[in-house]
Amino acid sequence: MSSDNDDQINRRTMLTYAGTAAAVGLAGCSGNGGDGGDGSDGSDGDDGMDGSDGSDGSDGGDDAFEIGVTMGQMDSGLDPQDHAETNTEIIVGQVYEGLLDRDKEGGIIAGLATDWERTEEGDVRFVLRETSFHNGDPVTSEDVRFSIRRIVDEDVGIASPQSNDLGSVTEVVAGDGEVTVSFEGFNPIAFQLFATNGPIMQQSWVEENDGNYINRNTNGTGPFMVTEYDSGNQVVYEPNEDYWDGDVPVDELTMEASSESSTRVNRLLAEETDIVTNVPPQEVSRVESSDVAGINSVPSARIIFLQMRYDVEPFSSQQFRQAMNHAVDVESIIENVLNGFGNITGQPTLEGHVGHNPDIEPYPYDPDEAERLVEESGHAGVEITLQTPIGRYLGDVEIAQAAASQIDSLSNVSCELEQREFSSLVQDITTGNIEDKPHFNLLGWGNGEFDGSQTITPLMTTDGALTILENEELDQLMVDAENTEDPDERVEILQEANQLAHDLAPWVFLHQQFSVYGVSGDISWEPRADEFIDPDTATQQ
Amino acid sequence: MSFGRFVLKRSLQGLGVVWGVVTVVFALRFVTPGSAINAVAPLDASQETRQAIAAELGLDQPLYIQYGQYIFDLLRGDMGFSYIRGQEVVGLVFSRLPATVELALAASVVAIALSIPLGVLSATRRNQPVDYGATLFSLGGISTPNFWLGIMLILIFAVEFDVFNTSGRGVDVGDVALSVIGSEPFVGTLLAWLAYITLPAIALGTYFMALITRLTRSGMLDELSKGYVQAAQAKGLPQTLVRYKHALRNTLIPVITVLGLQLGTLIGGAVITEAVFSWPGLGTLVIDSINRRDWPVLQGSLIVIGTSFVLVNVLVDAVYAYLDPQVVND
Repeated sequence: MSSDNDDQINRRTMLTYAGTAAAVGLAGCSGNGGDGGDGSDGSDGDDGMDGSDGSDGSDGGDDAFEIGVTMGQMDSGLDPQDHAETNTEIIVGQVYEGLLDRDKEGGIIAGLATDWERTEEGDVRFVLRETSFHNGDPVTSEDVRFSIRRIVDEDVGIASPQSNDLGSVTEVVAGDGEVTVSFEGFNPIAFQLFATNGPIMQQSWVEENDGNYINRNTNGTGPFMVTEYDSGNQVVYEPNEDYWDGDVPVDELTMEASSESSTRVNRLLAEETDIVTNVPPQEVSRVESSDVAGINSVPSARIIFLQMRYDVEPFSSQQFRQAMNHAVDVESIIENVLNGFGNITGQPTLEGHVGHNPDIEPYPYDPDEAERLVEESGHAGVEITLQTPIGRYLGDVEIAQAAASQIDSLSNVSCELEQREFSSLVQDITTGNIEDKPHFNLLGWGNGEFDGSQTITPLMTTDGALTILENEELDQLMVDAENTEDPDERVEILQEANQLAHDLAPWVFLHQQFSVYGVSGDISWEPRADEFIDPDTATQQ
Repeated sequence: MSFGRFVLKRSLQGLGVVWGVVTVVFALRFVTPGSAINAVAPLDASQETRQAIAAELGLDQPLYIQYGQYIFDLLRGDMGFSYIRGQEVVGLVFSRLPATVELALAASVVAIALSIPLGVLSATRRNQPVDYGATLFSLGGISTPNFWLGIMLILIFAVEFDVFNTSGRGVDVGDVALSVIGSEPFVGTLLAWLAYITLPAIALGTYFMALITRLTRSGMLDELSKGYVQAAQAKGLPQTLVRYKHALRNTLIPVITVLGLQLGTLIGGAVITEAVFSWPGLGTLVIDSINRRDWPVLQGSLIVIGTSFVLVNVLVDAVYAYLDPQVVND
């Protein structure tokens, strides 16, 4: 809704202008926008992992401007520690910050900590920035200690769904301007975890207010402050004038929801919003051919695959699993179903993530080889069923239909498709008992930590919460990775694990999902790989 | 039976239906697949985390205790806490109700304003082009799906011709009312309100408009063929007086009854229209709660929708009985 041009005022804008201040703000405010502050420098870690440089702050335009973001769904309340979903993270992440943060490419940068390092004992120590919460009170090490404990220990206040995210934190010690966190054993990805998780809240504010209040109000340290909150409908923010990273070049931010993708696209084309999420592939050309908006996409940290249970026939056969990988034409699916918005994969770790093995080629589409492997596996003539969630991932049903039909076209396998409501499918997948899981199903997995272990361990190791595989060699490799202090050596172990996962083929490796945004021509904004939306980095065109 | 006893009887029956709604809505949670814990916990949450969340939500209690507690809380006006949003359900549901009622009333206005003249015109010009046109129009209205009509209206009138807003509810009828006494210009506020509500009201009202057009036409034809109309015409009364004062008046009694009952249907049926237009009413709350397995909010919304329906029915029955005392003795 950047509305700096008077000649763009149309009849609707006129109506709204003439209406009331309560109308969704379309009017642009003139005034001097501040220059975007420089991104702060990340400090060097002394464990061999360099703190990467902070991203450059945007320059900011001469005029302050307003931005509207329309997503498919709104937040689950404003408590930053009482949710486990991306949409809520996008909404509360404008207000709350963690000790570390990530740049658009996923690199670790400074957050509320200015320095971070491992101590001699293997614990991690964060030196805190001198800054304040939105209510003006300074951020203290006690607040940080309380925030981390509130996530990992349900006795501190809530049973946080994020308790797994901070791994095995055993102790948090608050010092003078610093905090030291201990883990159960050496945690090689401690900084990756804190760059994605662990929003900091003020202890006294949390303790003085009940859940109903905390879920409707905010008190963070981030670039924006909430001024209006209409649950499930709209959140309006104003910039935090005292933000530690400099002026925020956005005058007002509005986040709204339209569950219908066509309505989101129509909102964008009618210039009622600036950024819309999840533009479906069939709507892309309509946006691209318009004069007022374009498409901006980025490979996300989410991988899509078909998982096969190792303990049931015919998927107990490695040849059969490999045959399924040869039977599915992933490139054709990406081209025809996803309109090109996908990257083919051949291993569980995505390119750019720690542990990705660049030497692994995806399984080539080869139906003859697939038929041969099926014969070799001894399961010729088998009938299998692929289960897919409906509407959970971009084009999930269409992808599953294409894959099932390609497998079905093999002369010695017949494959049917069963569509299932996501929550019901997940119920089977998450019982912690492999016997409850479907034999063959489509699933997606987002890896916000950008580290291979965060996919392989839960999904492919014997004790993984969602595993469908049992393989001692892979288990051992992941144990080794978990206990290796040398980052380079750890990468090698993870690469070896990826090669093994490729060969074992517990999945039909499909693709890396893309996040597809529609972006108004009035602004310039680059999306991020972790699906977070950062409107404070947008500039006026 | 006296009128008072009739109303009391209907009200008690209504309460029984509301209790039935509450019980069915409560039971739905246990027969539909998918658990609320899956919506709250991440996919890879440990069993300990899941158990802790279940305990926090009270889902680890036996069913009869959950049911008894639910009814007890409802009687105290407490619909519980949202699993997902961590907020009180009563506040959430009742903050959305005005938007839905506003949309349902606006849709009724659209339906009445167009259907009754169209029905009368159709009946008085029977088997003429106007009649065929009206029949075709109402057939189209009945057979057009709400969501498709909504999307088409947005595409044409909001995106292409830029006359209305695509979605949302930036200005509500309360703002319009306040502008009469406040500092905002009344006409401007009214126009801004119309920019938001017109398209969803048309999308939601079209089906009922078509239905009532057909009802008015057949009712009017029926009345026009009756003896009193012919007698009036034979006495030489003006055609306009006979048609619009006598025949139309009698036609409208059943039409108004249907309209009253349809208001309840409109409140419940606004779900799809609200989703298409991102109208922040109970419908979008219901869809959102279904997607997220937020049972307390879903239960609260359905109970409010069901109760509104029952309430409208009882009121219509009472008005009907008042107007036609024979109903009381049936």
